[in-house]
Amino acid sequence: MNTLGSVLLWVTDHGYQILLVGLVAVFCVREPRSRRKIVRVLLVLGALVVGCIFLAAAYGKMKPPVGFAWSWPSSVRISLAWFAMQVESYRLLPPAASSAVAHFLPFFELFLGLWLISSIGLRFSSLVASFTLCGFMIAIALAYHRGLKIDCGCGIGPPEEVGPAALLRDGLKFLLPALLVAIGAFWIHRPPDAAPLPESAPATPEAV
Amino acid sequence: MNQPSAGRILSLTLAVCIIAGNNRHQVVVTGAIRVTIEEEISINCGEAELIYKPDSSLGAALRSCCAGWLGAVSALLALFLLGPGVATIACAQSSTAQPTTAKPATASTTHARAVAPAKAVAALGVPVKAYGSSNAPITMEVFSDYECPSCRNLFETTLRQMIPDYVASGKVYLVHRDYPLPMHKYGYQAARWLNAAARIGEFQAVEAALYDNQNAWAMDGNIEKYVSGAMSAAEFKRVQSQMQGCGYPGDAAVRPAAFALGAQTAQSCALDTYIDQDRALGNKIPVQATPTYVITYKGNRLPAGSGIVSWPILKQFFDSLLSQ
Repeated sequence: MNTLGSVLLWVTDHGYQILLVGLVAVFCVREPRSRRKIVRVLLVLGALVVGCIFLAAAYGKMKPPVGFAWSWPSSVRISLAWFAMQVESYRLLPPAASSAVAHFLPFFELFLGLWLISSIGLRFSSLVASFTLCGFMIAIALAYHRGLKIDCGCGIGPPEEVGPAALLRDGLKFLLPALLVAIGAFWIHRPPDAAPLPESAPATPEAV
Repeated sequence: MNQPSAGRILSLTLAVCIIAGNNRHQVVVTGAIRVTIEEEISINCGEAELIYKPDSSLGAALRSCCAGWLGAVSALLALFLLGPGVATIACAQSSTAQPTTAKPATASTTHARAVAPAKAVAALGVPVKAYGSSNAPITMEVFSDYECPSCRNLFETTLRQMIPDYVASGKVYLVHRDYPLPMHKYGYQAARWLNAAARIGEFQAVEAALYDNQNAWAMDGNIEKYVSGAMSAAEFKRVQSQMQGCGYPGDAAVRPAAFALGAQTAQSCALDTYIDQDRALGNKIPVQATPTYVITYKGNRLPAGSGIVSWPILKQFFDSLLSQ
């Protein structure tokens, strides 16, 4: 389990770099077919990276605290109860809602991670992932704005206090790859032979 | 047994400290102390409290304080050495860092006055700033500043519900740790008052009084008023005697500049030792904000949490631990 966690963490930490290198390659290639091929490969990689981010987040929230062994469901129950305390510390939700979110979110992240890795309906899964990450970032920004000094409860890597560093990390390492995958997934779904409008044709009705 | 009359000066040549540990007892002979017993004397003794009343049986008081044959032998030795009617057993913990169980405040049973405040402080032992039994499976340490509004919220909304429920039933051992923040003008002084009160077993009453009246004393710094209101006049005298020399230079309302720099207070105060011990523990975690709580379950220490947590959420977490 620890090895799995380490692998997920490594992909989470370095995945965005692979995608950024791939993005440069896409812009360097002028030939449309080759470009599409590179984008397809990058989409598979990107889905894997973003999927791993969500799996790492779910793993971080469900893994037993130090000194406790993995056991179902008792150790997971402890971890989720602890996560509920972190959710509540944001002071955005009442206790009952915090508990509900804490018990739902890790399983949702697990599902989303597997959905992304499967690449089925990638346009939708990447959009859901982007919106979810935006939601997390808004919560962190609100907590920081209120002056709260709390652990972000992200579940990825060591505990990190809410603030610019957490926002930058989430934005660069998590949201950027998710957005790139979403854009790429929609771009690749364009009809490949969509003919551009003839230059002589009127662009707008007003021009007629 | 002869009863000490009011105002009678009792010369003690020896103070026997019995340190009760797990299955072992140690007898430590310390230097001479000199105290006056006017009414009765109360001394913290690890998890128990020795209350010596002139009209009570000394033997029973000793037995309640220090169980075991060694304690009884030591007490008899002290009696032979010191004579009838003269006995004070100062029981202290072997480690000041280890918190002990607090007894509920017994305002009517603890009345004593020391002639020499510094010596009386030395005889009182470490302040007991905890609720419940130290044998509870869960220990919750809360690092707080008495002037911090979030700490008050945590106490008023969560800990107040937890104490009669999970603490009283022996599931949780709640330990207070002082972590006064430099930004709060009277936070450090409040911690001093609390430590002084805790040394005579009045921690719970004073903590409640400080949080209940936080808005008032945080405005004018008159902490004394609320501390005195939480206990009897005799007990307050004992607390006040410990606070001698603990005022800030010049104006008691002004915090020392050295504290703002994270150093010791400019004017030395015996009570600062206990605050600094707690702060050192907090710096190890490290405490980033108050309140910060550290939960330990059967020796396994969980990551520190900070901010306000509601009782239903905390209870859910404790239940998950206890169902292991």
